[in-house]
Amino acid sequence: MNADGNTPVEPGTSGEAAPHAASSGVSRRGVLSGALWAGLGGAALGAAAGGAGMAMASSPKVDDVVDLHGSYPFYGQGHQGGVDTPPQRHSVFMTFRFADSATRSSVQTLLARWSAAAAVLQHGTPVGSVQPGVEVQPPGDTGEAFGLSPASLTVTIGLGPAVFGERFGLASHKPALFSPLPPLNGDTLDPKFTGGDLSVQACADDPQVCYHAVRNLARLGRSIVAPSWAVLGFGRASAGPGQQTPRNLLGFKDGTRNIATSDEYSRYVWISGSDQPWMNGGTYQVVRKIRTLLETWDTDRVGNQQQIIGRHKQEGSPLTGSAELDTPDFAARDGAGDPVIDPLSHVALAARENNDGIMIRRRSYNYTDGLDADGQLNAGLLFISYQNDPQHFIRIQNRLGAHDLLNEYIRHIGSAIFAIPPAPEEGHYIAQSLFT
Amino acid sequence: MVKYPSETRSLSRSFWLAAPAAVAAVALSATACGSSTGAAKSTASSASTSAGNGVNAVNVTLANDAGNDACSLDSAKVPAGPVTFTVTNSSAPGITEVELLKDQRIVGEKENLAPGLDPVSFTVTLDGGAYKIYCPGAGSEYLDLTVTGQAPTAPTGTVQTILSQGTRDYSAYVVDQVNQLNTTVKALGAAVQSGNVEAAKTAYAKARPFYERAESSVEGFVIPGFAVDDNAGNLDYLIDMRESTPVDDKVGWKGFHAIERDLWQGNAIAPATKALSTELVGNVGKLVGVVAPLQYKPEDLANGAADLIEEVQNTKINGEEEAFSHIDLVDFAGNVEGAQQAYASLRPGLQKIDANLVTQLDQQFQAVLTSLDGYRDAAALGDYRVYRPQVRAADAAKLTAVIQPLHESLSTVAQKVVSAT
Repeated sequence: MNADGNTPVEPGTSGEAAPHAASSGVSRRGVLSGALWAGLGGAALGAAAGGAGMAMASSPKVDDVVDLHGSYPFYGQGHQGGVDTPPQRHSVFMTFRFADSATRSSVQTLLARWSAAAAVLQHGTPVGSVQPGVEVQPPGDTGEAFGLSPASLTVTIGLGPAVFGERFGLASHKPALFSPLPPLNGDTLDPKFTGGDLSVQACADDPQVCYHAVRNLARLGRSIVAPSWAVLGFGRASAGPGQQTPRNLLGFKDGTRNIATSDEYSRYVWISGSDQPWMNGGTYQVVRKIRTLLETWDTDRVGNQQQIIGRHKQEGSPLTGSAELDTPDFAARDGAGDPVIDPLSHVALAARENNDGIMIRRRSYNYTDGLDADGQLNAGLLFISYQNDPQHFIRIQNRLGAHDLLNEYIRHIGSAIFAIPPAPEEGHYIAQSLFT
Repeated sequence: MVKYPSETRSLSRSFWLAAPAAVAAVALSATACGSSTGAAKSTASSASTSAGNGVNAVNVTLANDAGNDACSLDSAKVPAGPVTFTVTNSSAPGITEVELLKDQRIVGEKENLAPGLDPVSFTVTLDGGAYKIYCPGAGSEYLDLTVTGQAPTAPTGTVQTILSQGTRDYSAYVVDQVNQLNTTVKALGAAVQSGNVEAAKTAYAKARPFYERAESSVEGFVIPGFAVDDNAGNLDYLIDMRESTPVDDKVGWKGFHAIERDLWQGNAIAPATKALSTELVGNVGKLVGVVAPLQYKPEDLANGAADLIEEVQNTKINGEEEAFSHIDLVDFAGNVEGAQQAYASLRPGLQKIDANLVTQLDQQFQAVLTSLDGYRDAAALGDYRVYRPQVRAADAAKLTAVIQPLHESLSTVAQKVVSAT
C-alpha cells in the first residue's frame, strides 16, 4: 500500500512549499471561511486559536491547522503544485480519455486552457462568469465555489502514455523511463478504474473547492477529452513536515517516513538530466485505487493487525520501538529468536533499508464509494506516489504484491501512471515545450 | 417560448424542407415520409408511376452482397429539377432507412425498408449542388449525389431574415412530425383494441420516434384554456409522462409509458390498457391542433436542440425513458434527429455568425450519428438494439462521451442567434 521507506520528518529541513498566506493558527475544529471570519471577528478567532470555549479533548497541535485563505501561485514555481505541497485535507482525482476527434492542436489548446483555468482557480476566482449578462448564455463557471476561499487549492495536470503515441506526432518526445505500468504482483484491476490519457489532481482544504476545480476543467475539455474515472479523497493519508501523521482507514498512521527534505526530493522525486529536457523539473505520478476490506479488518485482533503493518496501532511506533519516529530495527529478534518485525509485514517489505535505499513520495487520500452490491463498506486508499523513476514504485509494489501480509485485506483495483511536467511560467502552459 | 398566431399552417414535411427555395417538393406519395406499418407495402407508390412525366429518376438499391449490406445508386448525377427517388430493398436486411441530405437537412426519406417489399419512392425538386444519400447500416453509408445545373441562390437578406426563415421551416417540421405521430398512434390504438400484444408492441416502437423528434417544444404543448400548471391540460404530461415523473394523483399516469408498462411488464392488454390507448389517440389528435399555430424565435430552436440533447443525456442514456420496453435507443435517435433538424434550420444563419461553430457542430452531430449506427439492428423493434441493462453498463459512458460535447456546443448557439437579431 505504501513504501514506508522514508526518513523521519525533521522540522526545519523541509523541502516542501509553504502556502502563500501565513497560517492564522486556526484549529482544525475551528475551520472558518472568509465570510465567517468577517462576521465573527476577533472573538471567534481567539476562541479557535486558544481552544477555549470549544469542546476539545486537548489543545490542537500547532501543526494541525487549516486556514482556508491560503493560496498557491500556479505559474513560475518550477514544479507543479500538489507534489511537495503539504497535503491538503481533500482531493478529487480524475482521469480523462481523448475523444476520437482530438488532434495535436486541440490537445495543445486544452492544456493551455487548463493551465489558465488552474491559475485562476488556485487564486480562488471563478473560470468565467457565474451569471452572464445575457440570459440565453450558459454560465461560464459552474458557480459552486463562488465566494469560497482558495483553500490552498493545487491543480496537478498529468500526461498519460497515449499522449506519446503516433497519433499526435509526439512519440519521439516520450521520456525513456515513461511507459504504461506493467502487470504487477497483486493486481486485481478493474478496467473501470484503470489507465487514462490525462489526469487532474485537485487538492484543497475544502472539498467543494476541489470538486469545483475538476468539474470545470472537465467542462472546458469536453470536446477533446471525456472523463474516464474519478475518486474523491478525504482525510489526507500522508503527512508533510510539521503536520501530524494522519491515519488511513486501517486506523494506522500512514506516511511516517515519507520523503520530506529538499535533498530527498532532488534524489527521488524531481526529474533532472532527462533524455527529454521538457520533463526536467517534473515527476512521474503513479495512482492506485486500493480497496480495503474494512469489515474483516475491523474484526482482526489488534496483535495481528500490528504484525501485518509492523507498527503499534496507537502511537504508530515500529514494533521495535516506542515512539512514532523511532527507526525500525529489522534485525531485532525476540526471546524465541523470531524477528520482532515480521519480514513480510508492510513496513519491512517497503522500507528503504530493504530496497537499496529507494524512496517514493506518497501523497495518498482515503476514499469511499459508499456501499458495494454485497452490502459492504466500499472504501479504501487512493494511493498516489511521485517518483523520478517509475521503476522505484514498480520494484516496491512487486515485493508488496507478492508477500505483504496486508494483501489479505486489500485489493489493488485501479491503476494509472502519468508524466507530470514542470510548472509553466506565466504566459505559457503545461507541457508547452513538448510541442515545439 | 411560443406564440399563437392567427393563421394556422399545414405543411408537409417535404414542403418545409423546400421552403428556403433551395428545394421544393412537387410530389409526394402518401407514405413519402410515413412509417406506417404493414401499409408500407400496399400504399407505396411504384417507380413507374411516380417517375413519369419527364421527371428525372434515381434508383436506390439496397442489396446484400456476399454477406454485406450495400447501398447503390444507378446514377451519381442528376439534372436539377424534379427528381424521383425510387428505393428498392432487394436483399439487405440491415438497411431500413434511406435519407436524402443537403447540409445536414433531411430533404427526403423513406423508412421501414424491408427486403421483398415493393419499391417505394419520393419526389423532390432539387437545385444544383452536392447532396448525399444516407443509407444507415450499409457498408458505405454516405453516397455522393451531384445535382447539375442551377445552384440554389445563397440565402439572401440579413442574418435575421435568414434565421426567421429557419424558424418557419422548423415549425413546419414539428407539424409534420406530429401529423405522423397522429397516424402512427392511431395504428397503435388499433393494435391495442385488437388485443394483439405483439402487434401493439411493434406499433408502439413505430410511433415513439415522432414524439421524441418533436418534443423540443413541449412548453407549447398545452390545451387552450388550461393553466400551464394544470396537468389535465398538459399534453406532454398526458402523452409522455414516465413513472419517474412525479405522478399527479389528480390526473393519474397516462399516455405512452403507461401503455408500455402494460405491454411489456404485464405482457397483456387489459380493458384499462384499451382505455389508455383511446385517450392517447385523443390527446395526440389535440396535439395536432395545438402545434399547428406554434411560432418560434431563433433562440427557441437553439434551446430546443440543446434540450433534446439534454433529454438524451438525462433520460435515454440512463435507460429511464423506456423502462419496460428498453427501446431507449429508438428515442435517442429520435431526439438526435429532432435536434439536428432544429439546428439545420438555424444553420444557414449561424454560418454567417460563426462558421467555426457550424463546423464543430457538424462534426459533433456526425460523431453521435456514427455511434448510433453501431446499434442499428433491423431485426429489433424500432430498428435499434434493445438497450438492456448490460448494454447500458458496457456502453453508456461511451455514449455520454459523444453526447456531452455536442450538448456543450449547442448550449452556446442561443446567445449567438440572439446577438444577431
